[in-house]
Amino acid sequence: MLAVDLTGDAVKAKNGSMVAYDGQMAFKKMTGGGEGLRGMVTRRLTGEQMTVMEVQGHGTCFFADRASEINLVGLHGEKLYVESSNLLCTDAGLRTGTTFTGLRGGATGNGLFTTTVEGTGQAAIMSDGPAVVLRVSAQYPLSVDPGAYIAHTGDLRQSFQSGVTFRTLIGEGSGEAFQIRFEGEGLVYVQPSERNTVGGDI
Amino acid sequence: MNFGPVTGGPGGPTVFDPYTLPSDDNVNPYTFCVELKGSQWLLQKGKMIAYYGRIEFDGVGHGRFDRLLRTSFHSPLHAGDWVVAEGQGKMLLADRAYDVNSYDLDEGNLTIRAGNLLAYQPSLALKQSIVPGFLTLIGTGKFVAASNGPVVFMEPPLRVDPQALVGWADCPSPCHHYDHGYMSGVLGGIRSLTGIGGSSGEEHQFEFVGAGTVLLQSSEALMAERPVGTVGAEPGVPGAGAGHGGHGGQGPLGQLGVRMPGQLGDFQRRLGL
Repeated sequence: MLAVDLTGDAVKAKNGSMVAYDGQMAFKKMTGGGEGLRGMVTRRLTGEQMTVMEVQGHGTCFFADRASEINLVGLHGEKLYVESSNLLCTDAGLRTGTTFTGLRGGATGNGLFTTTVEGTGQAAIMSDGPAVVLRVSAQYPLSVDPGAYIAHTGDLRQSFQSGVTFRTLIGEGSGEAFQIRFEGEGLVYVQPSERNTVGGDI
Repeated sequence: MNFGPVTGGPGGPTVFDPYTLPSDDNVNPYTFCVELKGSQWLLQKGKMIAYYGRIEFDGVGHGRFDRLLRTSFHSPLHAGDWVVAEGQGKMLLADRAYDVNSYDLDEGNLTIRAGNLLAYQPSLALKQSIVPGFLTLIGTGKFVAASNGPVVFMEPPLRVDPQALVGWADCPSPCHHYDHGYMSGVLGGIRSLTGIGGSSGEEHQFEFVGAGTVLLQSSEALMAERPVGTVGAEPGVPGAGAGHGGHGGQGPLGQLGVRMPGQLGDFQRRLGL
């Protein structure tokens, strides 16, 4: 559960994720995630849909969704890439958008696009079990199972790595045939659980 | 504005890199880190969530592993579920956000529910247990197992709920125990057939006696079953031709396919009763 203290300011949160509040709060559904007409069209086209509400008021507001674990990410001008289904709540001052992820999306079954959060403030992301934050640096690239990936920040290049060989085709696959390889400088959030992915069984 | 988790977590998340990740230890209760230095580990398919370094994953059917398999893998029936990780680096293992723990065996043996075992060092030998649905590890080395809630270690003699059993070490002779005395007679028969008057749901237990340790999970939610394959149908092999009313070692009631009072659900079938 996430508690947010508000003093007249606002946060953006996943629609319907408020579980309790005290004080005075106003909830307003934001059409198109508050990204304007262009954002709305992009989201509709990319299938990276997100219903967002704006919460404004004085007091404390509590958010939760399906008892998943909540991780706070502090942003200082950098960009957070996260799946829209994993994004719970952001400061109203953060800009959200949509970006193309390349082949990774295809393997995770989450579509080819992902959500970006940009600006200065805090965002709350959800994971199945507490997320592990892993640092990627130039000499230490990281490989992540697509089903366990939830978010990343920093200047990272992601490439799709496949261990598919003729053995996979004859049914002796390793179950780890697809990985996302992160190179560069940044942080990657992984959850201790795997979503069902297209590549997961191969 | 101020964001804060309600439950008292650490102020900021710990960021791990290859140096700060523990070696062969838990990162948090749900994630385990294995360090490979040119060595090998055997793991169940799909339990690796991330790794640093250069690690290769190959199905156990790979010809290169013939020698490894001869010494440490004796369960050809579910070979398709296992992978050999080999290389240099650190990898993280996790299973559906369940608690994971590592255990050390020193010239010992431990039998564990097949769905709970995540990974083990090849210095251990993995064999199918005579008890269907369970696997036995023998030797010296480390293995990683998942459980729903933390694992509790108990000393026999004791009786445990079938769903809470994770495994047992050494030889505490596992057997079934039924408390269905009150279900005998005409009234008891009606009771058990109709459910009127109720059964407590705790009539059937596993009983352990002898010297050893029994591992329990603190929840009755079973981990998803892993098929361990069927044993070849031979006379005297319990559970041979498993699950479908096979004949090897089945009791007369099992052959008739009749559920008698006190036999609960599929447990008796799975356990070859």
